Amino acid sequence: MYSSWRIFFHASIISAICLIFAGCTNSCSQKVSDTDSTLNVVLSANVKGLDPIYANDTYSNAVISNISETLLEYHYLKRPLELQPLLAESMPEVSDNGLTHTFKIKKGVKFHNNEAFENGIGRELKAQDFVYSWKRLADPRLQADGFWVFDGKIKGLNEWRDKVSAGEADYDTPIEGIEATDDYTLVIKLSKPYYQLHYVLAMGFTSPVAKEVVDKHGKEYLNHPVGTGPYKFANWVRNNKIELVKNENWHGQTYPTEGATGDEEAGLLADAGKTLPFNDKITFHEVTEAQPRWLNFMKGNYEYMGIPKDNFDSAIAEGDLTPEMKSKGVQLFKTPEPDVTYVAFNMKDPILGKNENLRKAIALAYDTKTSIEKFYNGQALPAQSPIPPSIDAYDPNFENPFKKFDVSKAKEFLEKAGFPEGKGAPVIEYSALTSSTARQMAEFFKQNMAAIGLQVKIDSVSWPQLQKKIKEAQAQMWGIAWLADYPDAENFLQLLYGPNKTPGPNGANFANSKFDELYKKAAILPPGPERTQLYQEMRDIFVNEMPWVPGVHRLGYYLRHGWIKNFKMHSIINNHFKYLRVDAKKRAELKAKL
Amino acid sequence: MKATTMNAVNVASNPQLEQGRSLWYDAYLRIKKDKVAVISFFTICFYLVLTLLSSLGVIFDNYGVVDNSLTYLPPSWDHWFGTDLFGRDVLARAVHGTKTSLVVGFAGTGIAMAIGTVLGACSGYFGGKVDDLIVWFYTTIDTIPYILLVVAFSFVLGPSLLTLCLAIGLTAWVRHCRIVRAEYIKHRDLDYVQGAAALGASHARRIFLHILPNVFHLVLINFSLGFVGAVKSEVILSFLGLGVEPGTPSWGVMINDAKQELFRGVWWNLAAATLFMFFLVLAFNLFTDALRDALDPKLKNK
Repeated sequence: MYSSWRIFFHASIISAICLIFAGCTNSCSQKVSDTDSTLNVVLSANVKGLDPIYANDTYSNAVISNISETLLEYHYLKRPLELQPLLAESMPEVSDNGLTHTFKIKKGVKFHNNEAFENGIGRELKAQDFVYSWKRLADPRLQADGFWVFDGKIKGLNEWRDKVSAGEADYDTPIEGIEATDDYTLVIKLSKPYYQLHYVLAMGFTSPVAKEVVDKHGKEYLNHPVGTGPYKFANWVRNNKIELVKNENWHGQTYPTEGATGDEEAGLLADAGKTLPFNDKITFHEVTEAQPRWLNFMKGNYEYMGIPKDNFDSAIAEGDLTPEMKSKGVQLFKTPEPDVTYVAFNMKDPILGKNENLRKAIALAYDTKTSIEKFYNGQALPAQSPIPPSIDAYDPNFENPFKKFDVSKAKEFLEKAGFPEGKGAPVIEYSALTSSTARQMAEFFKQNMAAIGLQVKIDSVSWPQLQKKIKEAQAQMWGIAWLADYPDAENFLQLLYGPNKTPGPNGANFANSKFDELYKKAAILPPGPERTQLYQEMRDIFVNEMPWVPGVHRLGYYLRHGWIKNFKMHSIINNHFKYLRVDAKKRAELKAKL
Repeated sequence: MKATTMNAVNVASNPQLEQGRSLWYDAYLRIKKDKVAVISFFTICFYLVLTLLSSLGVIFDNYGVVDNSLTYLPPSWDHWFGTDLFGRDVLARAVHGTKTSLVVGFAGTGIAMAIGTVLGACSGYFGGKVDDLIVWFYTTIDTIPYILLVVAFSFVLGPSLLTLCLAIGLTAWVRHCRIVRAEYIKHRDLDYVQGAAALGASHARRIFLHILPNVFHLVLINFSLGFVGAVKSEVILSFLGLGVEPGTPSWGVMINDAKQELFRGVWWNLAAATLFMFFLVLAFNLFTDALRDALDPKLKNK
């Protein structure tokens, strides 16, 4: 369930000022070809591996989404997000009780050519491949990072998992809930209604892999991925770059002919109906430091990128691009992120967990507005609850009374908590990452608390250390963020569901029986006003207890060069690469001027 | 014969002995003549005074004053080195960073010297099995790259000023230990040590009361060398986020902040921290150089 644990910003600690000067070594002097349509994408963290079952981070997922495909995918242009079939022929047939989902698999879908197959020719994808791949996802010996998407949801899967642990079952043992009734029909039987099933079938974890290839490479599969996607894996220089080439045998898709309002005006439908993918090659550059990323982008070595915090002022003025950037042909793309940053309290902590008023005092003392100015360039939405905009149950008019920055009220609550003016209050430990921005955020938090007389000690930790501390319930308070896996508030509320407590995703160890009851009730309801109502009731319980100090909902800012077409981003859609088109001629022309 | 005073008179009238000066007095005289050394010495004193006054709150007690409306003000008459992200005076933070550096420098190097001297002395003096063991120990430590070892220590102990001192102290003693060991091997069989042994002096007495004063100038030289190293290590560790607790002023943290700020055109954090460090390290280096020359008996007559 850790698919979207994201740090406030990237967490690289080893960096040197000299890296700033590394920007120009690669391709400044190279002549730009006007026929090469390679798409250059920069990733801000290193890719772990390319096995779908372990792809719980944005970066690995970005690469894998080109190689492997899922049964369903999100429509590229439509908002709010809408699912459409990808490897499935059509949307599934769902039984009346919502428990049986029958998928027809697209015919003629071929795996990439690979020596693991007979004669080296990729064979056709069958329904059985899904059965195999999902068993692999559930295989306890492999400890897949994505098993949570099916955990407790599919008939017989957890039982199979337990039996495999005990050595009583293997991949040949059938599972009632996942069955290939013929080569092109896949039947999924749920043990209880699970309305997020279709969303998770659009997540990289559930993409099918070929048994032959996995057998050949074993654990090394993550370096030799083979799928059915529009691009084939070609080459990987670890911690440097990954190259993919176009799959000539791809089953094919065309560019969408309809989009959201405004897409036509934005030129996003100019390629409507054309065959995908547009580019012959994709190169993913792994660059962990912000400055070389920025310099390379400005040299035109990447087609687009997010804006690092400290370059913001040089690129954006009053919410729009600076004239200098505009003159270079750079364009701006803004999108609200379905995410929330927050400071979590460990509810198992004897001090914070038992003192509601203390938590409220802390929340009231935190100056979100100034933090947005300082750390998000004034471009983020103060979060009132865990539920971000663009997701059902989000109410733009809702105000959390404890999220208003109010020092005198905070002091009142501190007194109620038993620590008037902070007297007698123990020093609270705040765990923060060692990266510059995370440290500065922690310092800011500490300053805010000092203003009401609360002492905070900052505990600097690395990302793995922080995760370990949270998992073992050793951290007292920490700053973290969650990015939606799918467009459903359940994905955020599960972070507070009692049974999900550590080592599960409920790092705050929040346990409220009323909340849990509502959660269970909502889990078996289809999307609709009734469910939304329950979500909002859960939100109110959250506000009453304040197990977190919600921080902000971020705004994604992307810069792109004029030669990249069909650019539209959404954090939940990660297979957008096939839609992007590099205008090689224009690139050669514009890049020469940079 | 007036035997009682004869010796004393003889000694006093010996022209050669009359001119004789102790090693330390001699070194003092030679350093006094070296202008660079004198300036360096006073620079170091200046830093010490600055640290003392700022710690007592006499000057720059505004180093922690946050004013978010003053973020990133460029250098001006009110703020000679501008302000940082939280509107704090950068000069004040640089001055307080001196304290962090000096504390780590003195304490860290002090620990290193103590360990290095004791282990080196025992190793050189006793030889044999003890020597083998200690040499094996420091060789093992020495095979691990210094900065990685320091990083590992601070990771385990968690960031704080004490940790920094310990991390640096527990790792930086190897070089010194080696030199002390070599000196003790040289000295242990010399006449004066044998004389002491003949008079019944214990091992400890011979090691610490007889030989140590004769090699102590090395401790001093290594101390100032190590001091510079410790100051630099502090900056590096803080830069990597493993140094002092966030919020404590430190040059390394300032440089780390500057890493991102430079692209905004905010150069004063970097400038202040670098200038302060530059002059301290330079002064210490020059002074150490002069000290080494002054304490070197071979250069005595030059």
